[in-house]
Amino acid sequence: MGALRFHSLCLFLSTSTRAASAPTRLSPLHHHSHGHLVFKAKPYTLASRDLSTQVTAEAEAPENIEKHPKSGQEGFITPRSHDFNAWYADIIANAELADYGPVRGTMVIRPYGYAIWEAIQDYLNAKIKETGHKNVYFPQFIPYSFIEKEASHVEGFSPELALVTIGGGKELEEKLVVRPTSETIVNYKFTQWIRSYRDLPLMINQWANVTRWEMRTKPFIRTLEFLWQEGHTAHATLEEAEEEALKMISVYKTFAYEQAAIPVIVGRKSRLETFAGALRTYTIEAMMGDRRALQAGTSHNLGQNFSRAFETQFTDENGQRQYVWQTSWAVSTRFVGGIIMTHGDDVVIVPIWKKDDEKTGVLNAAYSVEKVLKTAGIKVELDASEQRTPGWKFNFWEMKGVPLRIEIGPRDVSSGTVVISRRDVPGKQGKVFGVSMESSILEAYVKDKLDEVQSSLLEKAISFRNSNILDVSSYDELKEAISQGKWARGPWSGSDAEELRVKEETGATIRCFPFEQPEGTKTCFMTGNPTEEVAIFAKSY
Amino acid sequence: MASKDKKTPNTNAKSGGKKKEVKKETGLGLSNKKDENFGEWYSEVVVSSELIEYYDISGCYILRPWSISIWEAMHDFFDAEIKKMKIKNCYFPLFVSPGVLQREKDHIEGFAPEVAWVTKSGSSDLEIPIAIRPTSETVMYPYYSKWIRGHRDLPLKLNQWCNVVRWEFSHPTPFIRSREFLWQEGHTAFATKEEADTEVLEILELYRRIYEEYLAIPVIKGKKSELEKFAGGLYTTSVEAFIPNTGRGIQGATSHCLGQNFAKMFEMNFENEKGERAMVWQNSWAYSTRTIGVMVMVHGDDKGLVLPPMVASVQVIVIPVPYKDADTKAIFDACSTTANMLSKAGFRVEEDFRDNYSPGWKYSHWEMKGVPLRIEIGPKDVANNQVRVVRRDNSAKIDIPMSTLVEQVKDILASIQQSLFDAAKQKRDEHIKVVHTWDEFVEALNQKKMILAPWCDEEDVEKDVKARTKGEMGAAKTLCSPFDQPELPPGTLCFASGKPAKKWTYWGRSY
Repeated sequence: MGALRFHSLCLFLSTSTRAASAPTRLSPLHHHSHGHLVFKAKPYTLASRDLSTQVTAEAEAPENIEKHPKSGQEGFITPRSHDFNAWYADIIANAELADYGPVRGTMVIRPYGYAIWEAIQDYLNAKIKETGHKNVYFPQFIPYSFIEKEASHVEGFSPELALVTIGGGKELEEKLVVRPTSETIVNYKFTQWIRSYRDLPLMINQWANVTRWEMRTKPFIRTLEFLWQEGHTAHATLEEAEEEALKMISVYKTFAYEQAAIPVIVGRKSRLETFAGALRTYTIEAMMGDRRALQAGTSHNLGQNFSRAFETQFTDENGQRQYVWQTSWAVSTRFVGGIIMTHGDDVVIVPIWKKDDEKTGVLNAAYSVEKVLKTAGIKVELDASEQRTPGWKFNFWEMKGVPLRIEIGPRDVSSGTVVISRRDVPGKQGKVFGVSMESSILEAYVKDKLDEVQSSLLEKAISFRNSNILDVSSYDELKEAISQGKWARGPWSGSDAEELRVKEETGATIRCFPFEQPEGTKTCFMTGNPTEEVAIFAKSY
Repeated sequence: MASKDKKTPNTNAKSGGKKKEVKKETGLGLSNKKDENFGEWYSEVVVSSELIEYYDISGCYILRPWSISIWEAMHDFFDAEIKKMKIKNCYFPLFVSPGVLQREKDHIEGFAPEVAWVTKSGSSDLEIPIAIRPTSETVMYPYYSKWIRGHRDLPLKLNQWCNVVRWEFSHPTPFIRSREFLWQEGHTAFATKEEADTEVLEILELYRRIYEEYLAIPVIKGKKSELEKFAGGLYTTSVEAFIPNTGRGIQGATSHCLGQNFAKMFEMNFENEKGERAMVWQNSWAYSTRTIGVMVMVHGDDKGLVLPPMVASVQVIVIPVPYKDADTKAIFDACSTTANMLSKAGFRVEEDFRDNYSPGWKYSHWEMKGVPLRIEIGPKDVANNQVRVVRRDNSAKIDIPMSTLVEQVKDILASIQQSLFDAAKQKRDEHIKVVHTWDEFVEALNQKKMILAPWCDEEDVEKDVKARTKGEMGAAKTLCSPFDQPELPPGTLCFASGKPAKKWTYWGRSY
């Protein structure tokens, strides 16, 4: 298989779109809590769960926002600078990524949006298997007693649990929880499957839907039901578990960079932000177009906390009973929301003709170009519908974010060439005339251009990111950076209380201690104490 | 959680944790024989081969890697095929509001008794209970109504891979009848009935290929009777398999033409090329993890599972057979070389180098898991630069020189795939009985046959047959009227009513 790539339009993530200017004010939507963005696996650790983001009582679609008069109309995209929230909704609707579900807070993922998820799946599933994990499927229903056994878990999760009490017309003897995450069942079975060190490592993954009865929702970013993969592993030693947790966050990072063109920052969560029950949480943090941070994937070294709670033991080589060391890691359809970009189709072909006698020639040329590119493994869509004008089609596919457009008109047919337009370079500059239709030339040209688009998107995203991270050496500088909507990076050795104070006073949280650290000893900007590490602070989704 | 003392699940787990224990403690092998005690054999084999694990909730099972890999093999084939047909994947929510669910009357009558309801979120009661999808027609069609406006929006062809829940109370059986299962459900809308009719059969052909080409199970394509068709649909086609041991037919997968019934209910209209309003024609079609159960039942034997090579995640298992004083390292090296060679040639191969199990134990273990081909390598094989190959399906042993191994493995795997199908077909065909009279019918039914009989195609007559055959074993019903109809000479009478017969139809007890 050829490399699977997302040619990120960066509508959401970077500055590379036509609607390039950053929003002048932030939509209230951005304040929504989603501390458990991607892997809220641990209700058990409620205490820390919501610390990472600020819970507000704002409604999903605030009435007080002045809607652009055309907002919501088919084909119209609210300028991002006018109203970020409306812009996001317009993009979701008009690019046919998703629709609101029939039950409040649910979402219909339409083919164009689902194809993004499939591309994520194809890539990650292969990587997950390459790294030795096997896919399984655990039931969606969990007896309430399972969840209840851990008092802190049930306390943490219960407000969000969907409970089935009636099945087949009868009241159930025991309430069933619609899975919010699968730790309880997985550990229940691990306890049965693992006997000796020979059964380790046990490394599984599942692709599944999970449900959390959230009150405030937003397509892809937070929905009552979402899709994800959840990996669960058990190891004989702490070192192996640590290695596994690091390996998987690195898989996520590579995916973000190479496939999604999202220059995430990889790092470790602060103690406050660590998945409770985990020894360490690793995260990839992405900078959105509005410069908020989105936690796009997490990997936890769970240590023995869960195995102790679930009695998951093995007999080691010396015949001693030991608790296993575990990890868990997940990426969800939230990643799609973070991406909002083009996906599946790399190329769209728009045939152009005016007179009927031109039609056959143009269409034949279009079909043969389609075939050439398909054979070359390029995802291509031919828009041969006769109901829409070429101009309408150009707009439509630009909105969908297809990186390359091939136009074929009667003149091109006679000269045996096509016109190729780049989505990321507007106007004439992005347009090349007279590209030969000859299959080897065309194929090489298109592949080359796609590579260019990809690397140019990543470059733009990196430069956007870098220009929006400020190094700070005092708390005042941090406040200033955050108030400008930027990320602040500075030496940190503060206490939990000081971390909370930053959050209360600025709305920013520690996103991570990045793996990439400047050399040398630094001085904590809060305490003045020497410290080894810098932390990144930002407001987040 | 899951402390040791609570290992045996409370309900329905009579063959759950326990059997696993038995296996672990007494070694391998099934305690039940397929021909003697089929039901027990089945429950045992699905657990011992590590396909599934029982769970605390009756009718819900854990699908272990061994079964998910089979599911994935079928998925990969089918998903690629429907994409070629320009069907696109999507995902609709699990939750259905009662209003929508009840929109189509016949449909809901069919499913209502099996629906699971979410009534609480956290500790608070929901204002309106919310259903968990038993199937997604009613979830999806309001959107189709919204998305389809003009003829250029047609055809609309969507599919989703997901889980569904049907809270049945009849005896749950892993894969065959479970309360939650995985499936794909395709839902398409067309401007004309002809397009819908064509697609119904195209999809049915894919289902036939899944069964016959992948699972090596012969199926009969046909049309369901009015009584057995999908609730709310126009007509239902299916592929029907047969389980000789129980003499039961089993519906393998269904492809429905829904006609315009749902279009009416959900107002799926479009403006056709003449500018007139018209209603769409619809199909829906699905196959589920039930396929895996049928495969186990048809091919499994007293040693365990038998996997067709096409769906086996491990097609070849390489086992070293060291002897005392033999050059163990040379043997292990030969195993690795063999495995690498086959793996490079595109086969799915694993070596079993575990040192805490004897070769004999490993043979049984991989036989239990149904791996099609076993390669044994001992000192003599190393000396002769050959390997011993043992087929799972017929236990045939062949010594193959390394030089021709790749070609021969390829041939043998193809041969296993074919002979599994042939054997299953022969057995099925032996169980097909053509009858003309009620007495012959009853006799054949008692002999656990799949019965082909001339029928008047009247609903009352089918109901009557059901009533008259009701008993411990369950009533007989129509399985399908095969597309491939034998000749029906004029004057042939219905076996049950004595009225003029209209068609040949398969009858039998079924799952």
